[in-house]
Amino acid sequence: MTGNLTPKKLHPAALAYAQEVTAGTMDRREFLTRATALGVSAAGAYGLLGIKAPAVAQEAKAGGVIRMAMEVKGTKDPRLADWPQIANIYRGWLEYLIQYNSDGTFEGRLLESWEANADATEYTLKVRQGVTWNNGDPFTADDVVRNFARWTDGNVEGNAMASRFPGLVDEATKTMREGAVTKVDDSTVKLSLSISDIAVVPNLADYPSAVVHSSFKDGDDPSANPIGTGPYIPQEVSVGQRVVLVRAPNHTWWGGTSPLDEIHYIDFGTDPAAMVALFSSDEVDANYESVGEFIDILDGMGLTKEEADTASTIVVRMNSSSDLYKDKAVRQAIQLAVDPAVVLELGYNNLGKTGENHHCFPIHPEYAEIPKQTINPAGLPAALEAAGLKDTELEVISLDDGWESATTAAVVAQIRDAGATIKHTVMPGSTFWNDWQKYPFSSTTWNHRPLAVQNMSLAYTSTGSWNETAMANPEFDKLMAEALAIADAEKRKEVNAKLEAILQDEGYIINPFSRSLFRHHKEGFAGLAQHPAFEHHHYKWSVA
Amino acid sequence: MLKFILRRLGVMLLTAFALTFVVFYLTNLAPNLEKLARSEGSVRMTEEAVTAWIEQNGHSGPVLMRYGQWLGVVPGWTFTDEKGVTRGRCIAQDGDAALAPRYCGVLQGNWGYSTVFKQPVGPALLEKLGATGWLMLWVMIVMVPVSLILGVLSGMREGSAMDRTLSTFAIVSTATPEYVSGVVLVALFATATTGLSPLLIDMGLLEPKKTLFLASSTSAMDNITFWNFTLPVMTIALYGIGYIARMTRASMTEVMTQQYIRTARLKGVNFRSVVMKHALRNALIAPFTVIMLQFPWLLNGVVITETLFNYKGFGWTLVTAASNNDIQLLLGCSVVAVLVVLVTQLISDIGYVYLNPRIRIS
Repeated sequence: MTGNLTPKKLHPAALAYAQEVTAGTMDRREFLTRATALGVSAAGAYGLLGIKAPAVAQEAKAGGVIRMAMEVKGTKDPRLADWPQIANIYRGWLEYLIQYNSDGTFEGRLLESWEANADATEYTLKVRQGVTWNNGDPFTADDVVRNFARWTDGNVEGNAMASRFPGLVDEATKTMREGAVTKVDDSTVKLSLSISDIAVVPNLADYPSAVVHSSFKDGDDPSANPIGTGPYIPQEVSVGQRVVLVRAPNHTWWGGTSPLDEIHYIDFGTDPAAMVALFSSDEVDANYESVGEFIDILDGMGLTKEEADTASTIVVRMNSSSDLYKDKAVRQAIQLAVDPAVVLELGYNNLGKTGENHHCFPIHPEYAEIPKQTINPAGLPAALEAAGLKDTELEVISLDDGWESATTAAVVAQIRDAGATIKHTVMPGSTFWNDWQKYPFSSTTWNHRPLAVQNMSLAYTSTGSWNETAMANPEFDKLMAEALAIADAEKRKEVNAKLEAILQDEGYIINPFSRSLFRHHKEGFAGLAQHPAFEHHHYKWSVA
Repeated sequence: MLKFILRRLGVMLLTAFALTFVVFYLTNLAPNLEKLARSEGSVRMTEEAVTAWIEQNGHSGPVLMRYGQWLGVVPGWTFTDEKGVTRGRCIAQDGDAALAPRYCGVLQGNWGYSTVFKQPVGPALLEKLGATGWLMLWVMIVMVPVSLILGVLSGMREGSAMDRTLSTFAIVSTATPEYVSGVVLVALFATATTGLSPLLIDMGLLEPKKTLFLASSTSAMDNITFWNFTLPVMTIALYGIGYIARMTRASMTEVMTQQYIRTARLKGVNFRSVVMKHALRNALIAPFTVIMLQFPWLLNGVVITETLFNYKGFGWTLVTAASNNDIQLLLGCSVVAVLVVLVTQLISDIGYVYLNPRIRIS
């Protein structure tokens, strides 16, 4: 059952996981996520299950151009990137140490392999050999160390990576701790963490962690001087208009030949209705995402649909720094006035699975089943009255994007039906983002992350960099620190059950459903699978 | 004459000055700067980081001083970070701080740097103005002849059936704003499921799944075709056609009741020559001013139309700049708008003199 792998090279937990799959206590997707996070290769992980890895599509034909409709935002220093769309542009020439695939597995890109010790405090990274930058420089272990220093620099405003590697950072200087990342030899880098951290691998695969060249100046636009290891370079980046990626000249990409000659991103705005017109007039070959009612319409036009099952979700959250929602009883009553199933149907055409108000979903390896909440709209008026908010008008703010505002409207309608005075304010993107983290009650979309604790630690710990709820629960913080040190997801599940319960009990969030993601493309293109985190893996795309 | 032109230029400068200051003041209100900081830095920045960003990027200090920097009468801001790298208004990326000039505002020919488009304002605006220029050109080519013909036809016999029909059309088209006519045109001509296209497909005149016209003019940025450019041109032109036709009609009916027209008719000159030779020139004086005044209106119309049809010209740039609080770009847009309005007015005033010798500029 261990296939052709020598057991001693394997992480012990991986073997245990494989047994769990056989015993039926873990499903295959969970297994792949967890085993590959521990350094087992994807093929090896499939091998542990005694099955063959799904065959990669036969040699794709080289040549061709694709026109993909996507918002073109200005590229910025990858660690500051705050949109997957930004990353999808520089993915043309910048690559990642590790990549998260649509099937839930982790795959080494600039790393050949990696291994974690038993309590996830030490990672050994094997740097891929034979990789060159498109200016001819070889890619080495020094590049890896240098990029870790960039990522861990907490003095840079808005550095999305800074809080991701707490075990590598010196708290006093807010930069990389001496000896945390060391080059063992030309092909090996060792991470010595001060605390256990299971999220190192998924974090290395997240979109701000693109690996840049030594000549890259901090804070610069990466498209200005596009030195990278990837197969393409940007020929044109016109913000709001268009990006053209072409093959990097005089560059031998380590991965062989990427099939497409050119990749065009064209910005047609964000109106999903426009996409229907664009497909019908043959102005695009594929879209970034199909949403809501338009999925059916695009299906009806004879386009190919790609679906990704995810933990992408929407959170309608209250913020306790507002006087309205500082009372836990009020928050709980509002939360329980909303039936997730109704929201899923009205807001998202049932294109997902209902959530449980704790921002954790069955596809997460550490998802724990906890007792179901009882929806109780009748409790709301009493709670509001007790808090002296009976006659106060509440306001929920949402973006004017189709399903986001529909979902929020469904939430608002149910709270109103339960007896509160509440209004729904819809804002265009240009004003919404102005002060979004401060809105007392508003909806935010969350992208998929491979591990549940990743989202929860970012969003709900008192120090979380994306905490929009002002939630500060010491117990939650303590348990989260604990959970982040447990490499074995089965054990982490026990702690996670408590985390889920606290989050539910605090009542900050209404988390009605997780959604599946869709994309449509014309026939004749291959490899355009939708990705749970909207990642574009250009080298997989081809003209069939 | 020269004095008149000089005075007009003076007014133009003053207006540009006042307008840019108002725009500058509004875009520099604290919440707008915060928004800018978040979109430029990262939406996840903390309150402190936002304040620091605003200070380190030359957006702190008195508004008047910063406006002076834009004008080029106050030295540009500089900031040296903890790594010893100096940035500033006058320092190009990778440039040497020591060699940079002290002043670099509009007076020095520097229009600033667009934060949205990541390029200098000058080239960014010129490129977009070029795109809008094409749109305006085609609008004028369609609008002016059509509206003059309609106006003259309906004005030469006031109260006739033709006058009533054409007037009705003119009133309806000018009473329909662009954001209505644009949507109606798209629904009629550019959707595969409603309007004319499905009918034409049924009749075999159009390929399946195609539409008569394109609802998005993005491709017209590279290559203008009848297919992708008709709808935006018609959207803007329709409004102007009705308006100019009404003005021409009014002017034409007035001329047609003049004594000299009656004399010419009584002398036995045929109706056709009366209209062409005697009435037309006099009747075109008023429409000329109206047509010149259409330029500023077109600038207004392109904002809606370009956004609707996703055509990346001046109007779209203005919307993008405003929604991203791109200060320097908005200022550039304002100057362009002032120039267009006042220059066309100047031309219209001067042209008026040539068309109507009774008027003198003094």
